[in-house]
Amino acid sequence: MVKGYSRPRSLDEALEMLARLTPRALPIAGGTDLLVDLREGRLGECHLVDISRLEELKVLEKRSGKIRVGAGLTFSEVERSGLLRECAPVLVKASSQVGSLQIRNVGTIGGNVAHCSPAADTIPALLVHRAKVVLRSSNGSREVALEALLGGPYKALLAPGELITEFVLEDASHMWGEFSKIGRRRELAIARLSLAALARKEDGRIGELYLALGAGTPVPRRMESAERALLGKRPQEGDLWEAGWLMAQEMVSVSGPRPSTHYKEKAACGLLVRTLLPLLEDGS
Amino acid sequence: MEGPLILKLLRSPRPHARILSINTERAMKNDGVEAIFTAKDIPGRNLIGLITKDQPLLAHDKVRFVGEPVALVAARDEESAIRGVEEVEVVYEDLPAIFTPDEALDPGAVPIHEKGNLLHRRVVVKGDVEDALSRAHLVVERTYSTPFLEHACLEPDAGWGYVDKDGTLVIVASTQNPHYDQREVAELLGVEKERVRVIQAATGGGFGSKLDLTVQGFIGLALYHLRRPVKLTLSREEVFLATPKRHAMKIWMRTAARRDGRLLALEAKIICDTGAYSSYGVAVATRAAVHATGPYEIENVRVESLAVYTNNPIAGAMRGFGVPQVAFAHESQMDILAEGLGIDPLEIRRINAMRPESVTATGQVLGESVGLLEALDAVEPHYREAMEEWKKGPRRPYTARGVGLGAMWYGIGNTGVRNPSTVKVQLDERGRVVLYIGAADMGQGSTTVLVQMASETLGISPEEMEVVIADTGLTPDAGASSASRQTYISGNALVRACRKLSETLLEEASRLTGLPRGELVLRGGNVVSKEKPERLVSLAELAALAKERGVSLEFEGHFDPETTPLDPSTGQGIPYATYSFACQMAQVEVDLLTGQVEVRRIVAAHDVGKAINPKGVVGQIRGGVAMGVGFALMEEFLPGSTRSFKDYHIPTAADMPEVIPIIVESSEPTGPFGAKGVGEPALIPTAPAILNAIADALGERIYALPATLERVCEASIRAGWPKMGKGGGPR
Repeated sequence: MVKGYSRPRSLDEALEMLARLTPRALPIAGGTDLLVDLREGRLGECHLVDISRLEELKVLEKRSGKIRVGAGLTFSEVERSGLLRECAPVLVKASSQVGSLQIRNVGTIGGNVAHCSPAADTIPALLVHRAKVVLRSSNGSREVALEALLGGPYKALLAPGELITEFVLEDASHMWGEFSKIGRRRELAIARLSLAALARKEDGRIGELYLALGAGTPVPRRMESAERALLGKRPQEGDLWEAGWLMAQEMVSVSGPRPSTHYKEKAACGLLVRTLLPLLEDGS
Repeated sequence: MEGPLILKLLRSPRPHARILSINTERAMKNDGVEAIFTAKDIPGRNLIGLITKDQPLLAHDKVRFVGEPVALVAARDEESAIRGVEEVEVVYEDLPAIFTPDEALDPGAVPIHEKGNLLHRRVVVKGDVEDALSRAHLVVERTYSTPFLEHACLEPDAGWGYVDKDGTLVIVASTQNPHYDQREVAELLGVEKERVRVIQAATGGGFGSKLDLTVQGFIGLALYHLRRPVKLTLSREEVFLATPKRHAMKIWMRTAARRDGRLLALEAKIICDTGAYSSYGVAVATRAAVHATGPYEIENVRVESLAVYTNNPIAGAMRGFGVPQVAFAHESQMDILAEGLGIDPLEIRRINAMRPESVTATGQVLGESVGLLEALDAVEPHYREAMEEWKKGPRRPYTARGVGLGAMWYGIGNTGVRNPSTVKVQLDERGRVVLYIGAADMGQGSTTVLVQMASETLGISPEEMEVVIADTGLTPDAGASSASRQTYISGNALVRACRKLSETLLEEASRLTGLPRGELVLRGGNVVSKEKPERLVSLAELAALAKERGVSLEFEGHFDPETTPLDPSTGQGIPYATYSFACQMAQVEVDLLTGQVEVRRIVAAHDVGKAINPKGVVGQIRGGVAMGVGFALMEEFLPGSTRSFKDYHIPTAADMPEVIPIIVESSEPTGPFGAKGVGEPALIPTAPAILNAIADALGERIYALPATLERVCEASIRAGWPKMGKGGGPR
């Protein structure tokens, strides 16, 4: 139940407030996940600290070859950014497939990561962009690899009073990227599976490849077995099937068998084939 | 008026349990809590039900499903009401709970109701099935299943009430059925019907879910005791948990055909999970049985349909009353037969299509309004184009395209029982026409259609009429807005009332002008001469004159379609006065890698008799298609786990295919201006057409709805589509 609400004017004030009100303090940005939890009574007594209007969380710039993306950017803002379209194509594509337009207009990428759903759309995208996460609290700041933050389903490893302020991405200019998602309907659907892919071809061979699977494992993760299987290859269709198979096996070995495995291992393999078809010799 | 008290319900957390005690003491100590009612506070008969009275408003001795109302709390504010609900103490003793009809029908099963677990058995038999089977060239036997569905109305059930100056309990609620509500509430309270007035509030969708009492009984009970305004709004979660669902069904079908495609026999066994209480269960099981042949003439029929109690949520009415479920089965059978016989799916439907004077499974000889062949003809050019060109067109790798047909028939009105409507029309002293229509309009457009009919009959533009809708204090009983019946039945009643008025007006005008009655007509709010369309006398003048002469200008029109009850042992009879027919075609693209299905286009040809409001008909068709896409691909209510829109998916605008509506008008001689109905028919053929299209794309069929990602993927693998694994790829 919400016992209080504050809207700090600056990031510092927000961090101070979070520190003071811990453990009851709950940062709220778009609120698209938080309000669902609130409505279902899962959050106990809390004090909302509204960070949705903090300009400090809306950083968007390229500096020394890295792309800094503010955690407070909405999915729609990400989608519209010329810089990100050029330098972070997978994040843009993933953001454009989140929920519905209404959700994309208010939901933020920082919130998406902090909520840490296994099916979060932007996490696989950030993983293939090899994102680092900048975290701040009233005690200072730290930077960690995104993987290190993903503690488990709905468990981002944030310290009390800590906020995600930005993501630092590798520059993916001139790379090919795709984000594919399987849902039970075309919009407003939680991913049954999603796949983020970022690649660079050199003389017809795959020079670089990053793959991350969403909704297939407790938290989204890079799928290195499939990456390795394709690196350096001039891929044929059979190679994609093999990589898909490897990825499906990796998924199952991480998650263990579940009722959904029967479908998901076929679909994961199919999703990889579907997504990477443009990388075939004659495809791109 | 003082602010209303807020009502909230305590609902059973147990699927089947005896209630040992209910203690409200602690809850009553809450400051804001004004009153708590339980079964013992119901002054009249604590038993409700549209057809079979088997459901207590508030549980007394036991509960039969999770969500069943046990106590009603009235409080000054929402928070107190919630706290009150939380603090009522109920001691239950669990009973074995039954969640499938198979378990429920086991001779050793615990009886959910005293009379046992079989609510209703409907049989329809005709001809000699054994003999027909022995003569058949091909017999197809399959089992189909469909899930519970939630109506997913835009507006959750809600209402409020107050006590009128003269002591009448006034209930304003979202409903499809105000006059039934009035009778039921009066019985609950043990008061004269006239002491209860039900007014339909603007209703954000019904689809059958607002035919039962939802909030009305609780509002009535609180008003009876508290004599002050009260309000009850169900949360979306409560709507999911506790309001009636579409019946889950298991349908076994055996269909026999000659080598030339002519159907010889149909056998079916239909098992409907009616949940904890009957609601419309009897009607759904019956309608499913009557419609099991599909819109085809079949000489030999043996159908048995059972409605079975379980401890699942109540299943009741939902757009189509059991016909969408059986249509999925009979239309799948038609395509399987077509394939087995090497006949085109459209052709096999044409060969067997009902036409004027066809004899139905219940032995009814159809009249002249049977527009199925016209609907098939209308779809045909689209079908040929889709089969011959679109299907072979360029597409993404690892996708397959399919084209499928679905046809249907649907009896207008309730099945073999009286279902009359009365409409009143009045020319008031000011010369204004006022229509008193009891039919609830929940967005389907009955008011518009009925006003158009009045306008046409009385020669007055719709803007110049006043309309009073669905208020038991003012309007006569038009029956429920269900069974696609209001255009046909209330339309007829209204036209009759308007004709009486117009005849009287013309007589009065004839008396006044000395001109023969036959030369006069009503036009533009005046009486004019047929010869010279100039105003002779206005309605206002006639009204004044009639008042002087003491002539009443208030008329009622009444209509009850001619039907006969179905014979209990054979199901023979005339269940409906008329039927609507339709054929839809679906074009789908299936992703063979992931099981995703995209419905690209639906062509929907519907015989509505006469489209009184073509835009309204098209709206119904589009809405029906949307609901059909959900039924086909994604909707599934799982008792015990589906809680809200979070886990219950209905199609979004992005899931909608292109829809090409085609209106077919095979005029119904007994219909108002030839009209029949379209509300439910719009939904029925969509899912069968989509499932047939998926089967066409894959070469493999799905027998259980919805066709989820998982089921489509499975079917695609069964069909030998891309094989996963090392060295996998296309076979």
